[in-house]
Amino acid sequence: MSSSKIEELKKRRQKENKAKSSQIPYAAIFTVVAIVIYGVFLKINLKYSTFWIIGLLIGFTIQRSRFCFTASFRDPILVGNTSVLKAIIIAFIIMTIGFALVQYIFVGDSEIFDIYNIPGQIHPVGIHTAIGAIIFGIGMVISGGCASGTLMRIGEGFILQIVVLVGFIVGTLLGARQYEFWDKLFISKSPTVYIPQYIGLPIAMIGQIVILILLYFFVDWYDRKNNLMMM
Amino acid sequence: MAEVRIDCMYETCPIPLLKALKQLEKMNIGDILILETDHSCAVTNIIEWAKKQQYNVDYTELNEGEWEIYIEKVK
Repeated sequence: MSSSKIEELKKRRQKENKAKSSQIPYAAIFTVVAIVIYGVFLKINLKYSTFWIIGLLIGFTIQRSRFCFTASFRDPILVGNTSVLKAIIIAFIIMTIGFALVQYIFVGDSEIFDIYNIPGQIHPVGIHTAIGAIIFGIGMVISGGCASGTLMRIGEGFILQIVVLVGFIVGTLLGARQYEFWDKLFISKSPTVYIPQYIGLPIAMIGQIVILILLYFFVDWYDRKNNLMMM
Repeated sequence: MAEVRIDCMYETCPIPLLKALKQLEKMNIGDILILETDHSCAVTNIIEWAKKQQYNVDYTELNEGEWEIYIEKVK
């Protein structure tokens, strides 16, 4: 929605700022570099070459779609917008189906679930999950980005996030160094819950999708109902 | 009609939105707020919010990676 006043102003500002430095040469250079790296990986490590392509595609998608996990959890509370959260819920639905297929291929019809080797991130859940989530939530809102968002914005040229990256690396290294301590204290004592173990993979998948769809409708309703930070 | 310019360069979300909100509160109806930012997420963030508030809003990319958002206070 725009008005004539804004249109006029926009045209005037565009006229004042004619000199645009083109960034297309940089794009060309980086495309060539990316292809060269892909070629090198094909020679030395085939697995890395696949990761390289998947990584590039994920980065491209996140950048173009402005997919931001921080915004998805911050904006509903701050301004009452849930468009990004809805996108995340849809991504979860797709992921649920995808992972159910992957795990079904792995598990098959067997009744015994070898939960430590099933593909996916199946980890013990306990008080450490909640504490970690709260700390991470506070941190990501202050720094303005989670891991993927921070990396994407650095690539985009948003300088502030380099400070975040330093903290991010420090935190990761500290975490890796002290993991054993926390593991002894909380993680190894917590149970590993894998719901398909109790109700079977198909029902677990359908149940999760139903819950996600209900969440989607709730979030959609929340968006229409809430107009926070209005004047 | 006044034009107020606020500088949100190098500011990360949600600071530009909060700055815009505070500035808009001080402005009169019909005034235009010009918000400069280099944070592409702020563009989507602010425009979505402004549309929800039913303000007139638009933006343009003046230089590569530098945007100006225009919000007209209509109520």
